[in-house]
Amino acid sequence: MKSSYKKNKLQIITFLILGSLPLFIDSYYLDNFSYFMCWTFISLGLAVIWGMGGILSFGQTAFFGLAGYGFSVISINFLGVAGVSLWSIILALMLTGVFGLIVGYFLFYGGIYDVFIGIVTLAITLVLETFMQQTAGPEYTIGEARLNGFNGMQGMPIIGFENIPFGLVEGVTQYYFILILSILVLISLYKFKSSKMGLIFLASKEDRDRVSSLGHNVQKIQLIGFTIASVLAGISGILYTNWGSYITPDSMGLVSAALPVVYVAASGKKDFFSVFIGCIFFVWLSQTLAVNGKQFAIIVMGLILVIATRFFPDGIILMLKNKLIEKVKWLQS
Amino acid sequence: MVFLFNIFYQFGDSLAFLLLAAIGLAVIFGMMKIINLAHGEFITVGAYGTVVSGKVFNLPLPIAMAFGVIVTIIFGLILEKLVIRYLYGRPLDSVVATWGISLIVSQSFLVIFGPSYEGLQTPMGNFQLGEFSYSEYRIFLIFFALFILFLLYYLFMKTSFGTLARATIENPSISSSMGVDVKNVYTATFAIGAGLAGLTGALYAPTMTIVPSIGQAFIVSAFITVVTAGASPFVGLVPAAAFLGMVQTSVTFYYKSTIGLIAILCAVILIIRYLPNGFSGLILKTKSK
Repeated sequence: MKSSYKKNKLQIITFLILGSLPLFIDSYYLDNFSYFMCWTFISLGLAVIWGMGGILSFGQTAFFGLAGYGFSVISINFLGVAGVSLWSIILALMLTGVFGLIVGYFLFYGGIYDVFIGIVTLAITLVLETFMQQTAGPEYTIGEARLNGFNGMQGMPIIGFENIPFGLVEGVTQYYFILILSILVLISLYKFKSSKMGLIFLASKEDRDRVSSLGHNVQKIQLIGFTIASVLAGISGILYTNWGSYITPDSMGLVSAALPVVYVAASGKKDFFSVFIGCIFFVWLSQTLAVNGKQFAIIVMGLILVIATRFFPDGIILMLKNKLIEKVKWLQS
Repeated sequence: MVFLFNIFYQFGDSLAFLLLAAIGLAVIFGMMKIINLAHGEFITVGAYGTVVSGKVFNLPLPIAMAFGVIVTIIFGLILEKLVIRYLYGRPLDSVVATWGISLIVSQSFLVIFGPSYEGLQTPMGNFQLGEFSYSEYRIFLIFFALFILFLLYYLFMKTSFGTLARATIENPSISSSMGVDVKNVYTATFAIGAGLAGLTGALYAPTMTIVPSIGQAFIVSAFITVVTAGASPFVGLVPAAAFLGMVQTSVTFYYKSTIGLIAILCAVILIIRYLPNGFSGLILKTKSK
């Protein structure tokens, strides 16, 4: 117990700070913080598939959007049924997972590798966006829910239980809901990384052929990694939709698809914790910059991406984290 | 007869679009194995170069187009010097970096030129056949696309530059020890790719609404055509574009154009599943048998 505390001191301190945050900041900033943390899941998913597996998927926003739309359609349709939003989360995540499995099957069992995976996943995202853009007409209605085309869907009920105090996932409840979920996800991802399967997945990045000639089923493991990443992206999509009661086809467009890649590349794709912290930081940064116009924020994000890949291929946040750890060690000794 | 011509026209139009969209990307990818996600923005630069020079300096269209191409080449050279050069041999990083460039450029255009810019008139006239009217310029584009492809084939297969370029791609270290300036060959190839993307933008500038996201209209078509063409783009590009054009035309004919786009994307996913090396892989395989 003591050794695991020593090893993860930085993580534990960070989460203690994050956990006590509602005591110090008002509800407006707390809601903002929930928004930043919504994006950590899709980024962590990208860190799994890209940082561990060396597979660059541009299509994470496809799963993000699919889960967001799926959640909206299901929860609007079963409005008023008890516990509906929890079921709609589960169903939407299952939908996303199955979609991820199908796409992943085509990719990995079809012998598509390297940059081609990026192209195909990007194509899938853009197909979904193109399709959703043109669903403005009344013929695109699933049950009670109108897809609403480029206007986006809104009016989905908030996750949770109405008759319990703090039962609805909004405000402080939303913050802790997301925080606890992200801690659980981080712990499971660290477990996955050190498991046998995770190690094979890591090895497959270095040399796919050698790993498979050692008798491991590389395709199966890549498929599992891809599905995990797609479900994580789906969690982000649902939380985002719940946060703003709003989802649009733009959330799957070319620019939106690039943003998680920026967060992960600039943070340090090989380290989950750096991705988590970096994602919060970069979403905050882009939101702050967007005050003067969204274009400027995107230009800066592009610059960060270029500079990070050109000068800091291991990620800026990871580098800072290692510097910090070194400094602390130096001070202690 | 009119019906047949109508189909030929639709098919040719989408063939030319796919070929021209893909050509610059195919050179950079086929020769350097770099996926240039800023390809769409190169097209945007070419289109804006053409339209702005045509409007501001009142240049005649062909000269404005040449200006657009030159601007794109210069733009490509600068990017190569600043960023791309350091990413050779790191394919995934080059994808990510060019994506960053794409974000910067497209949003900068939005800041500088606003959400839309007054376009140019489509050159040449229209002609009537039966009850339909056709644009001569679009017919011209079909033949021009094939002509450009032929020129490229000649450049890379028959000239001494082509031999140097192919040798460099095949084995950079041996070529370098034989006295080839590898860096210059890469730079030149990248510049050619950029110039071709600029040409695409210039050629389509008079036919489209000029918006900062104009390149995005091409980028999806460009990628799927290059992917369908496979590893050796000079062999695979025409059959790939022809196949995709056929799918798109026939689906668009019965449904609407967004469904046509979705149909070719699905076709591409199936092709990659069953023909991972694309059309060029298929052709080279049957040839070697």
